[in-house]
Amino acid sequence: MIPSFDYKTPKTLQEACHLLWEACGKAKVIAGGTDLVIGLRNGDQNPQLLMDITNLKELRGIEESYGTLSIGAAVSHSEIASSPLVRQYGNVLSDAASEIGSPQIRNLGTIGGNIVNASPAADTLPPLLVLDATGKVASQEGEREVPVAQLIKGPYETTLQPHEILVRITFKKLPKNMKGCFVRLARREAMAIARMSVALLIQMQEGQVKDIRIAPGAVLPTPQRLEEVEEFLKGRFPDVELLRVASRKVSETMIRRSGIRPSTSYKAPVVEALFVRAMRMALEE
Amino acid sequence: MESVAEIMIRFKLNRKSIVVDVPPHWTLLRLLREKLDLTGTKEGCGIGECGACTVLVDGIPLHSCLLLAPKVEGKSVQTVEGLGSRGSLHPLQKSFVDHGAVQCGFCTPGILMSAKALLNGNTHPSKEEVKEAISGHLCRCTGYQQIIEAIEAINKDVRG
Repeated sequence: MIPSFDYKTPKTLQEACHLLWEACGKAKVIAGGTDLVIGLRNGDQNPQLLMDITNLKELRGIEESYGTLSIGAAVSHSEIASSPLVRQYGNVLSDAASEIGSPQIRNLGTIGGNIVNASPAADTLPPLLVLDATGKVASQEGEREVPVAQLIKGPYETTLQPHEILVRITFKKLPKNMKGCFVRLARREAMAIARMSVALLIQMQEGQVKDIRIAPGAVLPTPQRLEEVEEFLKGRFPDVELLRVASRKVSETMIRRSGIRPSTSYKAPVVEALFVRAMRMALEE
Repeated sequence: MESVAEIMIRFKLNRKSIVVDVPPHWTLLRLLREKLDLTGTKEGCGIGECGACTVLVDGIPLHSCLLLAPKVEGKSVQTVEGLGSRGSLHPLQKSFVDHGAVQCGFCTPGILMSAKALLNGNTHPSKEEVKEAISGHLCRCTGYQQIIEAIEAINKDVRG
């Protein structure tokens, strides 16, 4: 059973920040609730106050400006998956959003919730990392802009203070010649947590890799870019042999950063194959 | 049992406006089943993984086991009871019966609601679109084929 709590729906972001400040850590913010309600049910979460921020206008909507796209933290995965703006300027994110959970979960869950829940298998985090996305964080003390990579401290742990709210996520629109790809492996086609994923952005120039950004999902304790592999690939011609060598570097980097685990003998060759698959898909676009 | 401040919520339920008091920690599923006597919507897992609790909120399929009741304030909720009833089956319900898509029936209300949402937006879905629409539902009995056929067989406009 879900334990009882007070429930408030602030009308403005300012009111929300004030309520959180007054609550001294005893309040939790709720948007869709697809992770939080489960936590309430199993006792992982036990706040005295739940503050519903789903309808705050600052957290809603997908907006474009000259060079950037900004997505409200309370925008659902369905909205992101079907957004013409995100599909055009950040398809690596809309592709990932379209594979989360199930239609029902995508209709209710939000990108802010996915980030703040900070699961190592979160599907929006690798895309946000290759997009170099930042998050706007608001509180009674003001606002700050933080790279999404720095929002995650560890598995299920963020660097957000209890009185802070994630408001929007912003990234630079991808140029036309920058191809994005997101590939995901799970036990089932739907309604299954990612066992492994790869988010990739690649820009070619005269057959050579000009810019490349790689972030694996569900294989490291926090979302991270694979800078070593990115540097290795820049300036090179991505033929079959180079991809094979690069994929080896991906698995070696994974092992170096997360240690040898019981799953390593499975995950190492699979992450190599998944990386090559992602590269091929991105290069064929 | 501790007393908890209840919240008054106003919303449309199966096209009828209603006002209810509900403790804020109740899910919509619990409100429907325990206070409003609408037991057509089922609890299969309680954690949003089986789809048996699926209802439409403003036409959109959601897991009612994850939706806290206060969140339907001002919205329009449709449950399987609003779809049709004995003696007056919705074409979807009739198609499910005709195609043998109901065995134990536990998953059926949820799948009907997802199918309704699909057909509201897309009068002639492809097989792939039907599969995608029911991908958030588990059925332990049928093997899904009859369910997919039942939904594909709807060839008239059932929007509304």
